[in-house]
Amino acid sequence: MLYYFILSILIAGLTFTARNKKTVALVGGAFFVVQFALAAAILWGGWSEMKHLHFFTFDPLGSLFYVLLTVVGLFVFVHSKAYLKENSLKEYRLYFALLMLLETAITGVYFSNNIAVTWIFLEATTLCAAGIIYHRREEHALEATWKYVFVCSTGIAMAYLGILLLCSVAEGGSLEYTALQERLREGNPLFLKIAFLLVLTGYSCKMEIFPLYTIGIDANFAAPSPASALISTGLVNAGFLAIFRIYRLMATTEIFPWVKSVLLIVGILSLAIGALFLRRTNHYKRFLSYSTVENMGIVAIGLGIGGVGVWAALFHVVCHTLIKSSLFLQLAVARQVYESYRINRLGDYMTVNKVGALGMLIGTIVVLAFPPSPLFLSEVMIFQSIFASGRWWIAAIMLILLCIVIYSISARIIKLCYQPNQEQLHPSSVDRALSWSALLLLAAAMILGLWQPECLTQTLNQIAIF
Amino acid sequence: MILSLIILYVLTLIYLATTERFRNAATIMSLQGWILMAIAIVRLHTLNWAELTFIIAETALFKGIIVPAILFSVIRRTKINRIKASGSSQFHSLLLSLVALTASVSLTYVLADEASKVNVVFFCVALYSLLSGLVLIVLRTRIFSHLVGFLVIENGVFLFSTAIGVEMPHLINIGIMLDILISILMLGIFLTKIDDKLHSDDTDRLTHVKD
Repeated sequence: MLYYFILSILIAGLTFTARNKKTVALVGGAFFVVQFALAAAILWGGWSEMKHLHFFTFDPLGSLFYVLLTVVGLFVFVHSKAYLKENSLKEYRLYFALLMLLETAITGVYFSNNIAVTWIFLEATTLCAAGIIYHRREEHALEATWKYVFVCSTGIAMAYLGILLLCSVAEGGSLEYTALQERLREGNPLFLKIAFLLVLTGYSCKMEIFPLYTIGIDANFAAPSPASALISTGLVNAGFLAIFRIYRLMATTEIFPWVKSVLLIVGILSLAIGALFLRRTNHYKRFLSYSTVENMGIVAIGLGIGGVGVWAALFHVVCHTLIKSSLFLQLAVARQVYESYRINRLGDYMTVNKVGALGMLIGTIVVLAFPPSPLFLSEVMIFQSIFASGRWWIAAIMLILLCIVIYSISARIIKLCYQPNQEQLHPSSVDRALSWSALLLLAAAMILGLWQPECLTQTLNQIAIF
Repeated sequence: MILSLIILYVLTLIYLATTERFRNAATIMSLQGWILMAIAIVRLHTLNWAELTFIIAETALFKGIIVPAILFSVIRRTKINRIKASGSSQFHSLLLSLVALTASVSLTYVLADEASKVNVVFFCVALYSLLSGLVLIVLRTRIFSHLVGFLVIENGVFLFSTAIGVEMPHLINIGIMLDILISILMLGIFLTKIDDKLHSDDTDRLTHVKD
């Protein structure tokens, strides 16, 4: 694992020495060779075969997310090349170097088996993402970057206070999750509750759930669209994984029912915020970001319900990664045509780019969890768990909020495709090949909706049962 | 000894809630740095000399000298030395700060009966520090106050890390990493970019990115 980090960081550093954009692409190619080599080693070597690597473990959850990150990362890289073709070499190099470093830091979060190491890598993602958000170097980008760094740092500091409290309750010793789980079993419940609240609040800025969800929205607003695809999926998954590991730590303690209740409340609030702001915003990237908040709210509800809900939540995260990255990449193609993201002014996309418009429309159906969307499966399972637990009021609230979500998303995407356009058009900039490539991710998600491979269900079973 | 240092630290937090002038806030941040250094020396003297020297050097250099120097430099550059609205804002922040102190002490009182493993005094002050920082961030409109609020939160985290630092010194080192990386990044952005591009340190100018 150490060699992986050294190699990835060295390759990212090499980007700065590139003398032209072609060399940057070659360096990027080398970076993805390393990523795919590790993915192949994990897939074919089997994570159970790979032993404990000091601070890192190739566990099923980390490995699954890593494979997704590698695939989405490659798409993001290809789309970014087209998206930034007008940028200067200096900006181009910096962007790609930061993108590679962000992917490396996210990988660190996925595989770390130590609570402090997870925290360190999450902190590192803040630094890399901040550089990407500031890519445009204009007033809005600076404001978004400042807010991102400030709120993330405050959140991360709060999470660290929670981690210190957990370690204090555990009375020293190793900070590995497995070792902590043993020592926290008899921990003081009140301290554990405070620690969980602090960590959840802190990491909510990465998972884009209530209360610190706002900075994810601002980050996606300012970052280039292909990078938003990575921030909204890979980085959000890193936040989810960090919270999920704490959730598992708490599973053996007496406060677990309380932890699930907190996650239920956070999930409902996130879903409500997502649903309401989807109606309010007038910016397509913020709009897709609120959809992420809404989906992560559903995931938190799944964890809060427990049982089958945990499996459904994990499946939801996996499929959301493919769907949301596809939508952001489609939006990146649309941006080349309109040079704007204003919902009330963009239109006629169906006439300009049929493939892209179809991608957006199919993406809408899939993200709204209509069959054959895989999200339909996960949401039905979550509803089943809710009904089984007898908490009808949660199902009622969720249904009302999901109706608002369905109306808001459908109306906005139909506007993009069919309403009369009021912005300047650059139809020659349409790159249909990129639209097709983004559709591939969506197709993969739809296949998962119709058929779940045995290896995926087994992996999710392994993760969800604890 | 430690108790008197902690009381002094708490007093600096209360003073921060009342002060209107940024120069005073910067001076208080420096004072907090030196108090934390003294607490680290007393609390962690059993650590090996290399680890102790690193922690003391970082606290003195970074928290006691570099960060306050950058804060003073920001004040000189922006030529803004006061919070935006005086009077009622001060009263509210003092009131909320005292509520935060009462809440932290009450929680510690509840915890003290049950818990034997956690150093509740350190936890109480760290929690108060966290809440004080949040009060400064929420109530004040100028970015400078937000920076001070964040530094206060960081100091609280550092203080609590010294409570378990003897058993797990690497946790203090990680906390120090947070200090250095993020503070430098934030102060750097503030010093070099915000002032150049926005020509103000007023958060009113940071409200364009919204729905």
